[in-house]
Amino acid sequence: MGVDARHTATVYGRSLWAHFRSVVEYPADFWVMATTGIFWQIMSFGFVTILFQNVNAVGGWGYHEMLMLVGFLAVAAGSPALYWDGIWSIADQVADGGMDYRITRPAPVMPQIATLHIGLQGVGEVPLGAAMFVYGWIGAGVGLGQIPVALLLFACAAVIQVAMYTIANSANFWVKGRVPVFGFFLVEMQNEAMRFPLPVFPMAVRVLLTFAIPLAFASFVPVEILNGRASEWWLLGPPLTAALLAALAVWIFRAGLRSYDSAGH
Amino acid sequence: MTTHSFAVDRAFAIIALKRKLAYRWNWAFSIGFGALGLLVGLAVWRSLIGSGSLGGYDWADMRAYLIIGFLTGTLAWGGSDWQMADRILDGLISIDLTKPVDFQRARAAEYIGSMISVVPTAVLGTVAAFLLFRPAPPASALAAGLTILSVLFIFPMAFCVNYLAVLMCFFTRRYLGIQWLKDGLLSFLSGLVVPVALMPIWLQGLCWALPFVHFTTTPSNIYLGRIDTPGALGLIAVQAAWTIVMWYGARLIWRQTIKKVTIHGG
Repeated sequence: MGVDARHTATVYGRSLWAHFRSVVEYPADFWVMATTGIFWQIMSFGFVTILFQNVNAVGGWGYHEMLMLVGFLAVAAGSPALYWDGIWSIADQVADGGMDYRITRPAPVMPQIATLHIGLQGVGEVPLGAAMFVYGWIGAGVGLGQIPVALLLFACAAVIQVAMYTIANSANFWVKGRVPVFGFFLVEMQNEAMRFPLPVFPMAVRVLLTFAIPLAFASFVPVEILNGRASEWWLLGPPLTAALLAALAVWIFRAGLRSYDSAGH
Repeated sequence: MTTHSFAVDRAFAIIALKRKLAYRWNWAFSIGFGALGLLVGLAVWRSLIGSGSLGGYDWADMRAYLIIGFLTGTLAWGGSDWQMADRILDGLISIDLTKPVDFQRARAAEYIGSMISVVPTAVLGTVAAFLLFRPAPPASALAAGLTILSVLFIFPMAFCVNYLAVLMCFFTRRYLGIQWLKDGLLSFLSGLVVPVALMPIWLQGLCWALPFVHFTTTPSNIYLGRIDTPGALGLIAVQAAWTIVMWYGARLIWRQTIKKVTIHGG
């Protein structure tokens, strides 16, 4: 077990490093992607700022709380691009038979796939998202004693994101086609809905986004905990959700691999 | 410059339309994304506006604004920009250059052909949204007609914006970052994310100095009667002017960028 985990970690690390070295060979692409990430976060900041020039609260949340939410979301949802972006290539690997190559190598398949690509937009997105989060934190008057809790919540959110991207993309083992439609739909839903506090939505949507597709545990619930809007019991939610989703992601990915029948020749 | 007949344009458009319809999942999801944005927008702005108004939009006006945004957004993002980009990125352009067709016109025909694939569902979705959410009616029959005219200009304008973005592939060798940057500019500066009327004056000035604002704000302003008839005609004239400027601007850029083409292989 210990040897397997070490082998997996080594494969993951080496593969990620190899792809990092390959992507920085194209400096123009690096700068375009990094600038794109920065621009998206400037746009998010602009959106919240413009909104609060016209209203005092959104779903009962003030300006700085909203910045914390948008910043947390940017870091949680944007960081997997730097270490798990290859998972978006499952659809391609299944469609063109590239998966054959991965499953015949003496290395675990999921880390091989996850490190097939690095999303350089994360280079711009994560620091600016973090800056927005810290600015909101200071403005909202959250104490420094919450820093360990915030770190735990960020770690859980990262696992939740990685697991949900893996599950959504694994659907392409069964839904054939080069476009990861379920993955795109997940991202779109998160981008559209989760940048707002859940109280702005009807109850059915809140329940859906908290328990059925638990995106709330990757941004809204953590920020509610940090702001003291949610009771301490909610602190159990993100680690439990992360553990459950991680196990589910591994199970679904393996089921997908078992059902994979190659592209044929 | 090579030129070709309209029949060739029509053939390119039909092939692109059929290709788009062949990928039903992508097609269905492009509509689904727009509908999702519309529903979230309705929930959020309902919560923000309540019984008052924001930036001169009351709740009925905002419903109309969001539904028009759904229609224009679905059309604006309905084309196949990746198909254009891939021609440059995978070297197919070397074959295109040997064909007796005008490259830009051929891509325009293909792009508009692919946009047409989303028209039936975009229109049906818009009609359904009007019946479900009962937004403010058009300011007048003339305003409704001019809104349709303004929306029609989205076809050539969307092509021009996307084609100009795709030409950047000659320099970057990849399209993803360019696409996201273009999408971000388009959605924010068009007023799709937040109405331009709510932005600070300097940002409103920037929006109106660029073509993106005519994708959402112009048709909705005409529809809601936020500008009078001469103003509406003026804005439509500006849409036409942007189309011409971008079309010929793209030709100028093409002349320079085509010198950078590197074809690999033997």
